Amino acid sequence: MDTQSYLPVQPGVGMEENFLSLDDILLSHERLPARTECTFPRLGFLEKTTDSQDITEGTKMELPLWLSKGLYERKRRVLSVELPKVYREGWRTIFKADPNVVDLHKMGPYYYGLGSQMLHFDSPENPEIAQTLLQTFIGRFRRIMDSSQNAYNEDTSVLVEHLDCLEKTLFRSGQSGLNSFQSWEKGQASQLTASSLVLNYRKRKMTDIQP
Amino acid sequence: MSDALSEDGSDINQDDSREEDVMTPVELIAKLEEAWLNEKFSPELLENKSEVVECVMEQLTHMEANLQRVKKGDAKASIHRMEIDRIRFVLSSYLRSRLQKIEKFFPHVLEKEKSRREGDTSLLSPEEFAFAKEYYTNTESYLKAVALKRMPPNLQTVDMLKAVPEPCLDSFVFLRVKERQENILVEPETDDQREYVVDLDEDSQHLMRYRTIAPFVSSGAVQLI
Amino acid sequence: MFCEKSIELIRELHRMSDGQLPAFNEDGLRQVLQEMEALYEQNQTDVNAAKAEGRADLIPSIKLRHCCLLRNQRCITAYLYDRLLRIRALRWEYGSVLPPNVRFHMCAEEVQWFGNYKKSLASFMRSLGGGEGLDITQDMKPPKSLYIEVRCLKDHGEFEIDDGTVILLKKNSQHFLPRWKCEQLIRQGVLEHVMS
Repeated sequence: MDTQSYLPVQPGVGMEENFLSLDDILLSHERLPARTECTFPRLGFLEKTTDSQDITEGTKMELPLWLSKGLYERKRRVLSVELPKVYREGWRTIFKADPNVVDLHKMGPYYYGLGSQMLHFDSPENPEIAQTLLQTFIGRFRRIMDSSQNAYNEDTSVLVEHLDCLEKTLFRSGQSGLNSFQSWEKGQASQLTASSLVLNYRKRKMTDIQP
Repeated sequence: MSDALSEDGSDINQDDSREEDVMTPVELIAKLEEAWLNEKFSPELLENKSEVVECVMEQLTHMEANLQRVKKGDAKASIHRMEIDRIRFVLSSYLRSRLQKIEKFFPHVLEKEKSRREGDTSLLSPEEFAFAKEYYTNTESYLKAVALKRMPPNLQTVDMLKAVPEPCLDSFVFLRVKERQENILVEPETDDQREYVVDLDEDSQHLMRYRTIAPFVSSGAVQLI
Repeated sequence: MFCEKSIELIRELHRMSDGQLPAFNEDGLRQVLQEMEALYEQNQTDVNAAKAEGRADLIPSIKLRHCCLLRNQRCITAYLYDRLLRIRALRWEYGSVLPPNVRFHMCAEEVQWFGNYKKSLASFMRSLGGGEGLDITQDMKPPKSLYIEVRCLKDHGEFEIDDGTVILLKKNSQHFLPRWKCEQLIRQGVLEHVMS
């Protein structure tokens, strides 16, 4: 804690979103396939495929999570939200077979975050989605932990490229633990160093000057 | 320390904050280290230990004064100097941890302080309380001035208590048991587990949910490590 | 779709995940506020129509716009709050005087926030230990030795150490100094800690 002074607001845990977390705001910008269950008058301009003044009932649209969540109501349904493919049964089977082969960055990158958020829309498949999320995480955790704890001074970019955001954070914290341990072993932990913020500002200043 | 000295020491079990009757410097530093580690590893802000802080600062001044009297070049002097530096590091690091949490959770910290019953030990020291209040006002008026007051009338306030996240008491912590505890109820991790009961033996070490053992941290029965 | 401008503000900060402070995006902020004003006005019109003409069918659109208003409010608040956290970090990394190229990226209100934060922190540190005072922005790492070997990375001028001796910090000069006195200069990149 003593070395890094910028401490951003952490994303929420599980189904919670933190209001001020940049990560959560970006997560809730992910788009979901949805279908309108009523007419939205005077908003036709939002839907490029129609010339109508309104968004008519039954229009299929991609809506960001935040809007889907805001409009979703159990009683007066104005919107139905579909599951993105990666949470549907077909993909769930793949995850069950071998969670490690999937490129979660490409399929996500908020696979776990968005998956947990999907539980807000009460779909009958929710229990299976939750199970798959958990099992996928467990299935992949070992490899992530192993490589983050043992890959020292190695190129891990290929592995990291395929990780979901949550997994990446996990990997990085493992790596930073490993690095601090190594520097302690080498007796460098007590070395006083320049603030990385200061150094980065200086770098930026240099690039600013270059034409 | 003078207040503490005048106590008769017969009410040791009454209240944590009054426990410091006559304390040796070694005990004092041990207390500081205990508070420091607990504060460093607990996800939430713990009760303030102003008395320890004040005593340690007095101790440091005292040591500095002693050093002035030692001749230059005395080998003992540099060992003492080093000791002063080390204590000052622990003290600063402890106060930094606290300040960092106060900033991170300021609306909740102030709310807790507001709802505190009379007689309960305060979470914040007077200095920390002043800092937290200023931080709140400063931040709130900043948000108002830059953006909120330029928004439509129904959107000009943000509830800081809802906006700023609370400490996550479900985080896991490492701990060492100082006094044996029996029948601790551990909540299940997943749906197919059941809750169960454990005993924590003296000197044993565990990795547990902070929420489960939080009361023992504040009572001093366990030490976070 | 609405709220595209406000997500841009968030992305701008998210890209600089190391905590650097990008220039205050006054223009972006103004555009979001303009969008909010427009959304609010459209909603006022529709709410009046819903009331006066009994147009209940307008309610879904009103709700949608309201969601967008809340979203914009959230993004802006998060944008500003995250910037404060970065500005806070500057106090701890640079000390209380910021270099002009950093200050340049702050808006007037941020400069004021920084000033107030600095003051609060200073009076907190002064009041520690019953008024004796302790600078807790020092001693960031556990001390290993009293004196350390440092090399000067740029000309810094004269520098006074504890016992009153004044030394000249010239570029590339090397010194053996009390650790406590050097910490801040090392953090600022003026001195470099040389490990034997």
